[in-house]
Amino acid sequence: MIEAYGVSLQYRDGTMALKNVQLKVDRGEFVYITGPSGSGKTSLLKLMMGIEYPTSGTLSVLGRPISRRNTGKIRKMRREIGPVFQEFKLIQGRTAMENIIMGMRFLKIPYREMKQEASNALAVVGLEHKAYTRVENLSWGEAQRVAIARAIARKPALILADEPTGNLDMDNAVNILSLLESIKDKDTTVIVTTHATHLIENQRNVTLIHIEKGNITIERRGKE
Amino acid sequence: MMRLFRNIGYFFREAGKVLWMNRLSYIFSFIGTVLVLFIFGLAVSGWRISDQFVDMLQQEAEISAYFEENINIPEAEKLVDFIKTIDGVWDARYVGTDEAHHRMEEILGDEASILELFEQNPFEAFIEVRIDLDKMDNVLEQLKYLKGIDYVRDNRDILEQLQGIAQALEVLVYLIIAAVSITTMVLISHMIRQAIYQNKEHIYTLRLLGAPNRFIGFPYLLVGMLLTLLGGILASISIVYLLREAYGQMKGILPFIPLPALNELAFWPVTSIMGISILLGLLGSLFGISSANKEKRS
Repeated sequence: MIEAYGVSLQYRDGTMALKNVQLKVDRGEFVYITGPSGSGKTSLLKLMMGIEYPTSGTLSVLGRPISRRNTGKIRKMRREIGPVFQEFKLIQGRTAMENIIMGMRFLKIPYREMKQEASNALAVVGLEHKAYTRVENLSWGEAQRVAIARAIARKPALILADEPTGNLDMDNAVNILSLLESIKDKDTTVIVTTHATHLIENQRNVTLIHIEKGNITIERRGKE
Repeated sequence: MMRLFRNIGYFFREAGKVLWMNRLSYIFSFIGTVLVLFIFGLAVSGWRISDQFVDMLQQEAEISAYFEENINIPEAEKLVDFIKTIDGVWDARYVGTDEAHHRMEEILGDEASILELFEQNPFEAFIEVRIDLDKMDNVLEQLKYLKGIDYVRDNRDILEQLQGIAQALEVLVYLIIAAVSITTMVLISHMIRQAIYQNKEHIYTLRLLGAPNRFIGFPYLLVGMLLTLLGGILASISIVYLLREAYGQMKGILPFIPLPALNELAFWPVTSIMGISILLGLLGSLFGISSANKEKRS
């Protein structure tokens, strides 16, 4: 699913975001990437989405190498990913339903099925009653749930959530993490970055990747 | 391609939203586009009228070939038949002395009485040769050395001026077409770049979701095409209205200008405006989208 060998990322201004990352994430795994602000969590996720390219080492996501030479393949790879962003990245002026369907229009899904998947996803996140509400009229917690609905409606092989609880209060944050955990199944890999380690202290059956100053440590927690 | 057609409703809605979000800016750009296309339509109409006028004058371009002395009518008619076969000659006709006298009477009008002072008809018979101006040199060369022809009056200066006018008009129209094309393309591509810039967050989200460039760019292509197409329709309506109004007056004021039928005259500017608006809308939008993409990559 995701394989990284000796991956480093240095930004143009000289900042070393990641150093010699060795990583293997399997299908169906649920991964938390933790670490303080500026530790390199988002950089790792950007690499996985093909927004940034490794300065050295090799990285492949969903079987596709992430490099500057593969931009076309990376664009196609993103269609198999369900991204969730801290700042939601919902399209303003559109309803929740329109936002979810917009994320599927360029996939090979018939329109009727798209609409059904969008309704199902909204039901999963508990927002079926807000399907035709414009996203700017939703609360932050609701907006993040719509963003998750947009991600899961695409039936992705990989969900990448970057600080999905970053803008939310404690109750909403717990709900969002529970929601993400409820998505995991044997076919979908979920990777979530968070600096709120207190929210995941007791999580089981997950992989924890801790990043500090660009270096990573991996802890696999089994079922209790 | 199938997905492109399946999403056509979505693309039009998105294009509508882009237009609505920046409506004030688009209204001004739209007015600019209509005016530019209107000027283009005027140029095409003017070109059609003047082209027809010059065509008519060119059709009338003729030279006169005068006979050597003692040539009889059958010999002159043989010469006419031969001249008709020269490349560049549209028509040749024998003009006898009586017809030449009668023509001069018509030219002199009220002053024709002066011709009565002559005891005999002072005019010579000649061959009136209507020629293709582009092949004038060839015709003159051949006529000059033709047995039985004494001299040729060629009206070269007038004929060359006519040719010059026709060429200048053609160049002028090409310049106007180039100016209109550049102005419209700059206008449209700038609008599209602006729209893409204003929607950069939206576009970035679609890129992150894996949307292909043609899916992202199509609504902007539609925006450019809708603006130029609607601009073209409005400019065409204005041109037809203007032509209809001006047509009667022109006929009255400038009766010597052979105006084509109104429908025929309107056909050219309308088809030219619509054709060029579709083409420039497409090219301007593609240019705007591609330059915005290049800017993003750099």
